[in-house]
Amino acid sequence: MDIVLRNVVKKFGRFVALHGISFEVRKKEKVALLGPNGAGKTTTVRIISGITKPTSGEVKVAGKDPFKDYEVKKMFGVVSHHTFLYEELTAYENLEFYAKLYEADESRIPELLKEFGLYERRHELVRNFSRGMKQRLAIARALIHSPKILILDEATTGLDVFGKKELFTILENFDGTILLTTHDLEEAEKTCERALIMSSGRIVFDGSSEDIESVYKEVLS
Amino acid sequence: MKVVEIAKKDIKVELRTKNSIYFMLLFALISSAMFSVSIPVEAYDVVASPLLWIVLLFVGMLGYSRAFLRELEAGTLDGLRISPINPISVLFGKTLYNLFLMLLVEAMIVPIFFVLFQPKIENTPLFLLSLTAGNVAFVIVSSSLSVLILKSKTRELLMPILLFPVVFPVISSTLAALNMAKMGTVDDILSPLALILSFSVAMVGVAFLTFEHAFFD
Repeated sequence: MDIVLRNVVKKFGRFVALHGISFEVRKKEKVALLGPNGAGKTTTVRIISGITKPTSGEVKVAGKDPFKDYEVKKMFGVVSHHTFLYEELTAYENLEFYAKLYEADESRIPELLKEFGLYERRHELVRNFSRGMKQRLAIARALIHSPKILILDEATTGLDVFGKKELFTILENFDGTILLTTHDLEEAEKTCERALIMSSGRIVFDGSSEDIESVYKEVLS
Repeated sequence: MKVVEIAKKDIKVELRTKNSIYFMLLFALISSAMFSVSIPVEAYDVVASPLLWIVLLFVGMLGYSRAFLRELEAGTLDGLRISPINPISVLFGKTLYNLFLMLLVEAMIVPIFFVLFQPKIENTPLFLLSLTAGNVAFVIVSSSLSVLILKSKTRELLMPILLFPVVFPVISSTLAALNMAKMGTVDDILSPLALILSFSVAMVGVAFLTFEHAFFD
């Protein structure tokens, strides 16, 4: 199993964001985490990514706890609606910085920049980039260390039609595990074979992503 | 070395934006100038070294906490959290960056202060060593504390409330060492300097125990 959550509870003060959720994601499985705003998708993804510590429960990514074994973070890449990019660094410098943190092969940087159409502007400060360009660079950042697992939280935010298409082509060709949160049910159905639907901090559906739109309406009605 | 990479990145960003440097230098210059016009010239020699230390303390308090705050405001702190690095490396990287800021500000302010107040220092190398040792300890304490208060909405208020009682042994020991160096009575100067050093080591130990808990959301 690449991702394992067992009875994960997350409380923010008195507010319970996750009520003991459990699920597993197998190796090379593509899973969509769906649900309305405030369902707990982002909190779940932040816990798996090693950003937010759960109040209780067990989290394992590639068999290890991301809050104890920091090296396991080399196994996954995270793309969020926050880009995690430094506005005062150039596109190249941003990738170079993260490559050093991940001890990744820096010779991949030009190749990634070309793939995401940013090579010509590699020496420009990120603050001058459009939202879509920043998001493309954020995807390149997440792929810099050739991760085996991709975690995406509303990753298409700010991307135009072509950017979205490009991202989903990458996801379709990605030979690894994917866990993504999205509001776009059509994209979820196209990209993922399995869907989890969350509501009020609980998993209310776990099954095939086929015909997810009607399942979504039925489960949340 | 990931610690060095984090510090290098922060220095590069700071040299491009110059936000903290300008802010710290401007505050130091204005307060030094204000002190020089509001204090009688005959008192300059007595008050010069404590005033210099006070200016550097306030400048540091305003500037050093920005290292983590900037990451939080820009949303890049999560980028560090998802990276395969021990959280303590992030703290050391930020401390290294703050030491760079400190040395830069000290190198610019100390000569100006000497010109303005013209203090008679008997042992200038020991005076500068004491000032730098106190400042290094202050950087270590304020860098460690700044991450502990990141989650608080009233962090700007909390910082001085938490910082000054914690750092008081460093403040008083540095003042004692500065006075000894100024008067030339340096036989006992090792005592305050040793206290500053041991306090810094103890704070690094405390940071080791608490930082990981404070670092993650």
